[in-house]
Amino acid sequence: MNFSVITTQFWSLVLQGLALGLIYSLVALGYTMVYGVLRLINFANSEVFMLGTFAVLWVEIEVLGHPVTAKPLAGFELVYTLVIALVGSMIACAVLAVLVELVAYRRLRARGAAPLSSLISAIGVSIFLMETMRMFTESRPQTAPRLLDKWSFGEIAGANFRIDTVLAIISPIVIFVILDQFVNRSRLGKAIRAVSLSEENAKLMGININRVISLTFLIGGLTTGAAAFLYTTVYENTVFNVGFNMGIAAFTAAVLGGIGNIRGAFYGGLALGMMEQFASAVLGSQWKAVTVFVILVLILLFKPNGLFGEAVQKTRT
Amino acid sequence: MSALRNFNLRDKGAEIWAGWNRPVRTVFVITFVLLVGLLPFAPSWGPTSFLNTPITSFENVLVYPVGMFVLMALGLNIVVGKSGLLDLGYIAFFAIGAYSQAILSTLYGWNTWQALPVGMGLAMISGVILGLPALRVRGDYLAIITLGFGEIIRIVALNLSVTGGPNGIAGIPNPPTIFGFEFNLMFPEHFFWLVLAMILLTIWMIRRFTVRRPGRAWEAIRQDEDVAALMGVNTLIYKLWSFVIGAAIGGAAGVVYASKVMVISPDMFKFEVSILILACVVFGGMGNIWGVALGASILAYLPERIRFIADERQIIFGLVLIIMMNLRPDGLLPRKKREKIEEKRTM
Amino acid sequence: MNKKIVSGLAIAAATTLALGVVVSSPANAAAKKSVTLAFQGPLTGPDAQLGQDQFPGAEWAIALYNAKNPAVKINLIKADSQCDGTVAANIAPGVAANKAVIGVIGTSCSGEARNSFPAYKAAGLTMVAPSASAVSLTDPKAPDRGFPIFHRVVAHDGFQAPALVRYATKGVTSPKIYLVDDQTTYGAGLIKYAIAPAKKIGVAGTDSVPRGTADWTSVASKVKASGANVVIYGGYTAEAAKFFKALRDGGYTGILAAGDGVNTSDFPDLAGKAADGVRLTAADVPFDSLLTAAELASFQKITGVKVPGLYSATAYNAAQVFITCIEQGKLTRPAIQICVKNTTFTGAGGSKIKFNRYGDIIGGADVGGYLVKNGKIVYDAIA
Repeated sequence: MNFSVITTQFWSLVLQGLALGLIYSLVALGYTMVYGVLRLINFANSEVFMLGTFAVLWVEIEVLGHPVTAKPLAGFELVYTLVIALVGSMIACAVLAVLVELVAYRRLRARGAAPLSSLISAIGVSIFLMETMRMFTESRPQTAPRLLDKWSFGEIAGANFRIDTVLAIISPIVIFVILDQFVNRSRLGKAIRAVSLSEENAKLMGININRVISLTFLIGGLTTGAAAFLYTTVYENTVFNVGFNMGIAAFTAAVLGGIGNIRGAFYGGLALGMMEQFASAVLGSQWKAVTVFVILVLILLFKPNGLFGEAVQKTRT
Repeated sequence: MSALRNFNLRDKGAEIWAGWNRPVRTVFVITFVLLVGLLPFAPSWGPTSFLNTPITSFENVLVYPVGMFVLMALGLNIVVGKSGLLDLGYIAFFAIGAYSQAILSTLYGWNTWQALPVGMGLAMISGVILGLPALRVRGDYLAIITLGFGEIIRIVALNLSVTGGPNGIAGIPNPPTIFGFEFNLMFPEHFFWLVLAMILLTIWMIRRFTVRRPGRAWEAIRQDEDVAALMGVNTLIYKLWSFVIGAAIGGAAGVVYASKVMVISPDMFKFEVSILILACVVFGGMGNIWGVALGASILAYLPERIRFIADERQIIFGLVLIIMMNLRPDGLLPRKKREKIEEKRTM
Repeated sequence: MNKKIVSGLAIAAATTLALGVVVSSPANAAAKKSVTLAFQGPLTGPDAQLGQDQFPGAEWAIALYNAKNPAVKINLIKADSQCDGTVAANIAPGVAANKAVIGVIGTSCSGEARNSFPAYKAAGLTMVAPSASAVSLTDPKAPDRGFPIFHRVVAHDGFQAPALVRYATKGVTSPKIYLVDDQTTYGAGLIKYAIAPAKKIGVAGTDSVPRGTADWTSVASKVKASGANVVIYGGYTAEAAKFFKALRDGGYTGILAAGDGVNTSDFPDLAGKAADGVRLTAADVPFDSLLTAAELASFQKITGVKVPGLYSATAYNAAQVFITCIEQGKLTRPAIQICVKNTTFTGAGGSKIKFNRYGDIIGGADVGGYLVKNGKIVYDAIA
């Protein structure tokens, strides 16, 4: 127990919790979007994230030619490099997410299989992707060049507003605002909501179900890709099994906020990020996961559908 | 393709079984059990020598992972297959059984047979402690709570001194001789027979439950929990029962496992194993004992059989899962048609 | 790499299809007399890097030996334990049952070693481990000791940890140490033996951060709040790089130090600027520092690995131990055991290896101190 760290580092922990939590939120979207429509846990999303981190590395190192030892960039070059890396990662993840749906879920769905069968098929995809990447990287962790110099805007109350922290906080918020608008306003967004309410009725109304499902996977892939970019920019490294811990954390975040709910993913991620920071600062990092799960159970006991869960209970088999 | 799709070996098997009279059934069961019991000697007999696993020892593979996975998959099947609850932390009960045996034997000198009821009891108690709050929530929320429980047990074992931290516990004795069977390194087949006996006992128990009140209650809960509650089934109690029975089987497997490997450590009880056992249940055919047993045998045995492809074998394993689930979404041997619920597309 | 995967998949697909038909054939086509060694370590799964780094060391040593066209060839088989005791408990009886195997290079991890002992002891099969450094494995009083079959060419944690503390605090006025481990048998073991000597100097705090953790900012905040000026990390390269980066980016200016788990050639790359001035100890030496340019080229050609990884030097040494005995004509398990117990071997870079009764190197107490300078790990002094 170390409570003194709260008094001296409180705002610093809050700021770091925000940055970490919002990255979780973006990955959580990959689970929550799919769950909203298909009512199944998209287990392979963690490997979509993993591929995204490698896509960022590939774009920065191979395509744009910045070796690992490169000096930080500045000005226009920095901006376009980061944007290309971000776009590359988002495209790679979106394509993979849609492919995962085609390979692991579509056939099973067409035949009316139980959601658990899809879960196992997704686990197969997950193992396959992870082990393939392990062979490509010869099991070694990989590092990203420090293209974004970690300069600071300044310190307020002990919290260090560093550029990467600020970036990891602002960009997810922007993405969430856009996504919220898209789902609530646009035609396609309405189609997604319609399918998530009732697939049968949506079909009757002339909505192409398969297209909508591909679209949700695409969106989940895009946000997961953005998360992969932020992760690689902030932590500057990755490894073939990076998706494992991230997947569990993001799934937890999605459930915490209320799975199937976009705003739930946002707040669930934030809450998880904060809990992790404070638990590991006060109780020690070894108890971090235990604390998170105990709090999660308590929350689910009082709010059985998560913080922002669906109003109507939907059972699954 | 469609022939493969519509062919249901399970139903076919049930038909044949129904056509037999009692003596024929008895003879069949005894022959089958004997044949399975002879498995440890398969590699040394010409026609079956292709079964041998390269590098690993076949007799030991039969005990763990094959036998243990079948046992645990049968236990998890009560929870997932029979009453339809998604449990992602089943390994926790295995861990509790294993650590009970390890601590009782190294600190208090208990032998395996004495520790067995205690390990099962502790697993059951933790099943109740987990189940009472967890079973009030539904579906995927239950999944994350059980996942968390599995991780909590592992992390606690990693951090306590009585469990030896990351080093785990060493020097666990083998089970003492029983009915003339010695249990040690020289006789892995004795361990296999022990596990086989436990599997048969479990199957017998599950079959008794299935035709009695609990089985019907589980079936009702699985098909529609609200309707079951409306019809007067105390859903929480029966869900809890399925949880606790599953836990007891996991605990028993853990006790025996610890006394076989002699050294246990927290990294044996990782989330991945829970997932693997769940995969065994679904891969074989949720809810059907024979399917689950077959699925667990295949998924546990396959990675060992293809060990000569050192680096790529996990990739193959992933591919097998994808392809098989696509070809047979309900598993290798699905449950009886009449037991299948009308699958709603929007589920 | 690409080709390897494709061909692997093709082979694998074919074998999976033909699984029911093919009879497992021992890969033993050599007409000449040959013996087999087994490498036991993680080659797939989450800990694969450890084994994949070591294997080339052993592979290279044996390829060099076989290239000399000796009377007895050596085959090397891979026993992939995934660093998992459950798997090792099956592998060990399997390897022991293979009569051709006369020695085991391994295990890589301490945990799996303990699950392997019962079978290897019963079979009298000698083990020489490149990296299993838990103290209890050679402790005469421990219930999980590996006597008489276990040997290791790496200094155990009880040697390295005090040296690490000494080296980390060298030249620091009023040091306050913060100790962090990664909750693995290796990392937690190292820190366990570092705490006692550290307490005599002054401990600012401790933490245990599970392997695979990405975000180290909260730990960095704690270290900063504790006022520590020396940080010692017990764990592996990937996490150390993240941790040290988070510390430096968080404004920590004190000493950073870690044990041999971090002393790999890719550490400076992974940690970038944060690697500068990091103090590392090693019971194992970066393999490339012991090789001439020609030898390194040969290593790269034979193994296909560009930069030798952590413990590839000790894996090479472990293979050398067996090769020396085989050269002396010791081709049975009992003969190998006696030979390994009694001979003085020459390892990479000319170091002398002689085992004591319980399997540790005699006089292996020297632990090297290394500094990271300009992106390179350079030898500094005896720690």
